[in-house]
Amino acid sequence: MRSGSETFVKAAGLVGLAGLVVAFPGLASDPFVLSVGVVIISYAVLATAWNFVGGFTGYISLGHAAYSGLGGYATGLLILRADVNPWVALLLGGLVVAVLAVPVGIAALRVRGASFVIVSIALVLVLLLVFQSWESVTGGSDGLRVPRPFDADVLRPEQHQRFFHLHAVLLAVMLLCWWVIDRSRFGMGLKAIREDEDKARSLGVPTVRYKLAAFVVSAFFTALGGGLYALWFGFLDPIFQFSILVGSNMVLMSLLGGVRSLFGPLVGAVVVGYATEFFKAQYGDTQMHLVAMGVLLAVVVLFLPDGIIPAVRGLLARLRPGQASIREVTQEELAAEVRR
Amino acid sequence: MAADLLELVDVEAGYGRAALVLRGLTVRVPPASVVCLVGPNGAGKSTVLKVASGLLAPRGGRIVLDGRDVTGRGPQSLLAAGLSHVLQGHSVFPEMTVGENVLLGAYTVRDKVRVAERVDFVRTLFPVVGARWDALAGALSGGQQKQVEFARSLMVSPRVVLLDEPSMGLDPKATATVFEQITRMRDAGTAVLLVEQNARRALEIADQGCVLDLGRVHLSGPAPALLTNPRLGDLYLGHPPP
Repeated sequence: MRSGSETFVKAAGLVGLAGLVVAFPGLASDPFVLSVGVVIISYAVLATAWNFVGGFTGYISLGHAAYSGLGGYATGLLILRADVNPWVALLLGGLVVAVLAVPVGIAALRVRGASFVIVSIALVLVLLLVFQSWESVTGGSDGLRVPRPFDADVLRPEQHQRFFHLHAVLLAVMLLCWWVIDRSRFGMGLKAIREDEDKARSLGVPTVRYKLAAFVVSAFFTALGGGLYALWFGFLDPIFQFSILVGSNMVLMSLLGGVRSLFGPLVGAVVVGYATEFFKAQYGDTQMHLVAMGVLLAVVVLFLPDGIIPAVRGLLARLRPGQASIREVTQEELAAEVRR
Repeated sequence: MAADLLELVDVEAGYGRAALVLRGLTVRVPPASVVCLVGPNGAGKSTVLKVASGLLAPRGGRIVLDGRDVTGRGPQSLLAAGLSHVLQGHSVFPEMTVGENVLLGAYTVRDKVRVAERVDFVRTLFPVVGARWDALAGALSGGQQKQVEFARSLMVSPRVVLLDEPSMGLDPKATATVFEQITRMRDAGTAVLLVEQNARRALEIADQGCVLDLGRVHLSGPAPALLTNPRLGDLYLGHPPP
């Protein structure tokens, strides 16, 4: 059972985190720092969205950039071609991608393990080719300029601030959804799928429907993240939108923080996002930041296989009184344990 | 005498295009009893359970559960009909808590009151389940994990439980606990079809026994009589090479 003090610490941590997010734009020393903050929280949105399928079902999709890219393009094209209000376009874009994810999910989720990874990569590569060649609609390799949703008198720093908070709201909604699912019957079924899909099916878990539902929810939120990024950045290039590196980053961030933890992808995004910007600042236009990221990934695999949050939780558990591997017991306690 | 709860009649089954593993096998399980299948490796014991639980479709014969022909039905359908299968080895979900593992056993049950009643029932029957409810199932000992599997199998109020080598890999103390729990399941009204390598121990707690070899029942009858039957040794231990 959860103790009162543990609940209090968690609640205090949550309030502190929310306060930090709200206050961050005011604390940022200059617009560049603020823009880095937007990039990092955008990473957090994408990684958390990925974790709906990766964390709950254990299906590792390296091609989730397909959904962020589609969300970005759907939002941009709805504004430009159909003259839809930007915020309505964002939501519609998410819904369109969610609908598209249904047939994709039905096909892709028939395979598991490495086969699923390959299928997910194939999808993003196909979309890259399509969006590069379909110049009349997508702008092709020249890219697509997405109009800003705010009036021209809203200056760049204020735009950063607004988008930081918009991303934070989306992230909060996603975290709430994840938390609710985690505690639901649906979530228990998904976790059983992650552990052993065949066994889960033999116990009556409707594995196909559940996997598809998680996949569609994940695609929807990823598309919203992509759409919001498109509105903030104002420009879409298929090379960057449909890049396997974007999908790999979602996986790396989630693994680094801990895929089975609510805040794991968020923690991973902060570490990876900050490290990327730090190494870029240190090494300029060289590719050293990629080398540094590779080293970071190796460190994670070697020393934190379950991620930062589970590692910290394990450390705290070991430090708690009565949790040490060696402890003093009375003769009576020892006898009782032996009898058990 | 009450009608048999589970009947496998003249069942033939095999894997893929390979030769038959079960060749016209007939096994009957009366209500609230333990029927034990023993036999050498490759005799087809586990295959009997797979066919009975719908994990493997039979090529011939029929399966009757509580008077209804259920031949060809899948595992979910048979689970809903009151037949639960505990697979060989450890089949808990190690990264989920004991509570989650047990509740997964009642995944097909929507009635929360009924689920709560079953939880109380299995917690009474298997004290370790209540004591370690919030612990990760993977952190439990082999014997404790087996009890969690038993508890999970009883969550749907099954009328028949199929147990595949429940003592495999357990130390003598844990094995004793597992056999004790099997008799408690029977005493609580559940029929058990038990496959076990530890033949003597299994027959000691069983009501009926069947000795299988090469996919057929070669010897069957009341378990105490089988224990003293000299043919048990011949069939189970095999003949020395000439």
